[in-house]
Amino acid sequence: MAVKFRDILADPEIEARWLKVKKYFYLRESTYDMTSRCSLRCDGCYYYEGEKQKTPDVTDPEKWRALLQAEKDRGITFVVLAGAEPGLVPELCRTCYEVIPNGCIASNGLRSFPEDIGYRIHISVWGDDAESKKSRGRACLDTQLEAFQGDDRAVFIYTFTKSNIDQLDSVAARIADEGGRLSFNLFSAPVGYEGPLRLGAEALRRTRDKMLEIMDRHPEATLFSRYNAEVHTDPEKSLHQRFKCPYPRCNPSTAVGLGRTFRQYRTDLTWDRKASCCVPNTDCDDCRHYAAGSAIVTSRMLRHVDDALSFRKWLDYVDTYLSVWIRGYEKGQNLYT
Amino acid sequence: MKERIAGIIINELKIKDVTPQTFDPNLDLIEDLGIDSMELTTIVVVLQDEFGIRIDEDDFAQLTSLAKIAEYIEIKKKD
Repeated sequence: MAVKFRDILADPEIEARWLKVKKYFYLRESTYDMTSRCSLRCDGCYYYEGEKQKTPDVTDPEKWRALLQAEKDRGITFVVLAGAEPGLVPELCRTCYEVIPNGCIASNGLRSFPEDIGYRIHISVWGDDAESKKSRGRACLDTQLEAFQGDDRAVFIYTFTKSNIDQLDSVAARIADEGGRLSFNLFSAPVGYEGPLRLGAEALRRTRDKMLEIMDRHPEATLFSRYNAEVHTDPEKSLHQRFKCPYPRCNPSTAVGLGRTFRQYRTDLTWDRKASCCVPNTDCDDCRHYAAGSAIVTSRMLRHVDDALSFRKWLDYVDTYLSVWIRGYEKGQNLYT
Repeated sequence: MKERIAGIIINELKIKDVTPQTFDPNLDLIEDLGIDSMELTTIVVVLQDEFGIRIDEDDFAQLTSLAKIAEYIEIKKKD
């Protein structure tokens, strides 16, 4: 082994960041589809590309409360409320929050959430108004910015597709001007997807350049790191190919970690191990999801402790992940620049 | 060796009311203490330093108790 871990931690800057992120290692995540309804129909939507849209909805808050209590009892400490649009069932989101108060809601952001639901809220943005009209059926950003003006729960998640890379300039400027924060996602093809949104090698290179450019231009508003950009835009390898995804869908082991504890519940409150990952209908060989990376890269810490530079990169990644997903966690300066 | 390993586990997991001498070598770290892969990783990086060995991620499933960790390290040191 080239360097001992204790020698890496001898750098006070690294040690301080290590102690900061280590406090959150108690987090145990599972995800929950809240309703089969959504107010948008977007090209390439994972929810409506797959079979789970046919699952019946459980709408009784007490059944949700019982599920969340059972989840808490088996050790789950962090929930992600997703598909199709949790904003249409705020009473169910509130019930979840009352049982497990750490978590995040993935929303289209067209309506706000009651203030007493204290989760982080991720608002999906897919390009500028013209692109949004084309791929989502309406311009969304004005409504999203108005609904979440001054809301410290909100993080805007800009999903890069092949056709919207340069549109980030205007979108990021508007979000930053409104005092909002943003982070990045990459379109990752659903299984069988043959449409035009898939990012090829050249688009991935341009995406990386754009990410770094926006980080420089809006450093206060952008929750991201150089290492995030590098691993998510690797043209040679998806996240699974590079790091070996630990979610149950890709990982048969139930010994320890996500393979043991993670579940992805459908709207009927059932789950299926074979389909359990953060975005279940994704083609794993094209997976560059921000949500997937948050778990995959973080869990591969051991691959990043051979030298100080690798560990700095990993710390940046985890610091970014925590700032994006945990309300109240403030991101530090990147250690790898 | 077991006491050295126990000291590392106690220190990394901040376990109270137990000493390296009283640590149950067969206590299941995952079933009984509920530790996750990230907490196990924090133990592993210290074990690597302490015993001068390299631990593979794929071997985490074997490291479920003090006794099993000690056995694993014995084998690694002979490699």
